[in-house]
Amino acid sequence: MANPHRRLKRSGLTMPIVTERFINNAWHRGCDFINMDLEDSVPPRLKDVARNLVKQSIPVVNKGGADAVCRINHDLMEADLNAVIWPGLVMVNYPKTEYGHEIRRMDEIITRLEAERGIRPGAVEIGANIETAVGVANAYEIVTASPRVRDFGGASGYDMSRDLGVEMFVGFDQFVYGKGEVELAARAAGREPRAAPFTPNTTGSVSDPDRAFAEADASRKCGFRIGGGLHPNVVEPQNRGFSPSDEEISDALWVMQEYRKLAHSSETWFQVDILTVSAQQNPRPLPTDSYLGRFRVIDRYEAARAEELLKWHQLCQERDREKSEAVARVRAAEEPA
Amino acid sequence: MSILIRRSNLIIPANQLRMIRWGWKRNADAVTIDLQDGVPTNEVQLARKMLRNSVDQVGKGGAQVFVRVNANSVYADCAAAVSSNLTGIILPGVESADQVAEADAILSELERQRGVNPGATELAPAIETAAGVWHIRDIITASPRIRQAGIDEAALAASLGITQTAEPDPFVYARGRLCIETIAAGIQPVAVTDPMGLGVDHLSHEAMVKIANNARNLGFKGMVCGHPRWVEAINEAFTPTATLVEYYTQVREVFAQALAAGTAAAPFAGRMIDVPVDEWAKDVLAMSAACAARDAEKQAARNAADAWSNLPVPTMD
Repeated sequence: MANPHRRLKRSGLTMPIVTERFINNAWHRGCDFINMDLEDSVPPRLKDVARNLVKQSIPVVNKGGADAVCRINHDLMEADLNAVIWPGLVMVNYPKTEYGHEIRRMDEIITRLEAERGIRPGAVEIGANIETAVGVANAYEIVTASPRVRDFGGASGYDMSRDLGVEMFVGFDQFVYGKGEVELAARAAGREPRAAPFTPNTTGSVSDPDRAFAEADASRKCGFRIGGGLHPNVVEPQNRGFSPSDEEISDALWVMQEYRKLAHSSETWFQVDILTVSAQQNPRPLPTDSYLGRFRVIDRYEAARAEELLKWHQLCQERDREKSEAVARVRAAEEPA
Repeated sequence: MSILIRRSNLIIPANQLRMIRWGWKRNADAVTIDLQDGVPTNEVQLARKMLRNSVDQVGKGGAQVFVRVNANSVYADCAAAVSSNLTGIILPGVESADQVAEADAILSELERQRGVNPGATELAPAIETAAGVWHIRDIITASPRIRQAGIDEAALAASLGITQTAEPDPFVYARGRLCIETIAAGIQPVAVTDPMGLGVDHLSHEAMVKIANNARNLGFKGMVCGHPRWVEAINEAFTPTATLVEYYTQVREVFAQALAAGTAAAPFAGRMIDVPVDEWAKDVLAMSAACAARDAEKQAARNAADAWSNLPVPTMD
């Protein structure tokens, strides 16, 4: 599961590229990625201005270590791609994807632009966003249309709601089928699903840090690793929620230690009553009242889970270090001599 | 593009003369005369003889009229039903595109014989089996007559050996698939009140409105109901409320101001407003106007109808 080369996308801010103060301040928010929007947050009359801001904004948004990402317009795809594919841009989000041929066409254009502009071939990812019923219906065809589609998701949100003709924030899981189809297509194609389990949200707030943490934490436990939002308040809670906690790391180390004992036995599993583990032991398991419970079965599945958690933790740690070093470099350069 | 407003569809057994006679007063957007489940086999012949009069009668209040035919006598039932006053037929138990194509051909022939506009008669597939749910895309794209499709949940439950209870809901997947596939194909998914609503006696009006609201918020555009008490609840749930109209009117204003100020993203009432929200606001306001127009149309038809007209008494040959 944990691919050491994959980009982490635990947190990210989407912002209109035409709002200069958002773009200028985003770099120190601690995001894994920053999504410069040319689409729904940009007025039609500013589309030309907007796309021509991307090249100069890439080094602005990524100076704190965040990956620079750009959301283009569905109906202006070719003009937008031509303006935004420059060194430093790691991904293009394509909204309202409905057919595989749209992605294949994008792949062709990006391949040409990479060659022309000195970008490593295949470096630019395509984020194929599913936001309509047609997109859900064609999910597998879309996700398999290009190797540039490395993660895949959608099937909820404002656009999807409008397409289905539903009100959002009504307190039940309205998008369960569509999200399920898209996740299944992603996993069947060996790509990473971008999804979240249902957590009730009847306010529609985009800046609630507690909700952001709860959703990220629940998402991670469901095997999802990708976040993103609209408000700086949710960045830190998403980074935290998508990263294993210290207790979980200690627990995973304990599981691996217990599992190694099986190597010297003929058994394939055993059960541990957590209450018998000394409170001083290090590493130590999660408490009995955690979601893993009191009687813990140690077997190869549990060991695999612990191993993946530790690998993911390592990736998170490296990513966090990368970002804080980048921010420190900028701060140092800004220090008055 | 005009919006198809067909919120409530009241289903009445073809042999229930009192209900056929008074059904037009119920304010349903559509009435379906049922030749299938509600009618004993030995009364189907008689029901067919009455059918065209019944269609006229139940439509007097401005409702669009459907006939649910029997899967094993599609031709005979359609032959009894088709006229220019019939909006369409409901075809039960559809599992394949071939069944749709066959019914389509039957309707075309009857339209030709009776001088009905070619293609005017709608065909609404009702899915009753797992095979129907699986082949939904082929089914709904098999005829341009299809503007709506639904799952007969009582039939699907029976075919799957399901005892329907309110919780857990066994049809999350089937309903989700229906909504996605129909909307992807540009047609409307229609829900059913039973067994979604599991009976009617214990339900308050508010409870029925809530059930209908949940259906709407899954993507359904209307509901078929077997009890007249549901009609007003369904109409209410599928009509944008005054609060919603007010909210989206404000959304449009806030969004227009944001555009003027150079951004298409604006905070409003604790939420974030951008293009799709403004687009949806337009949809809701258009829907509200279309519902009001449909209600006025029905009111005018009811006013004009002769409440005392007698249903012609059929005779046996």
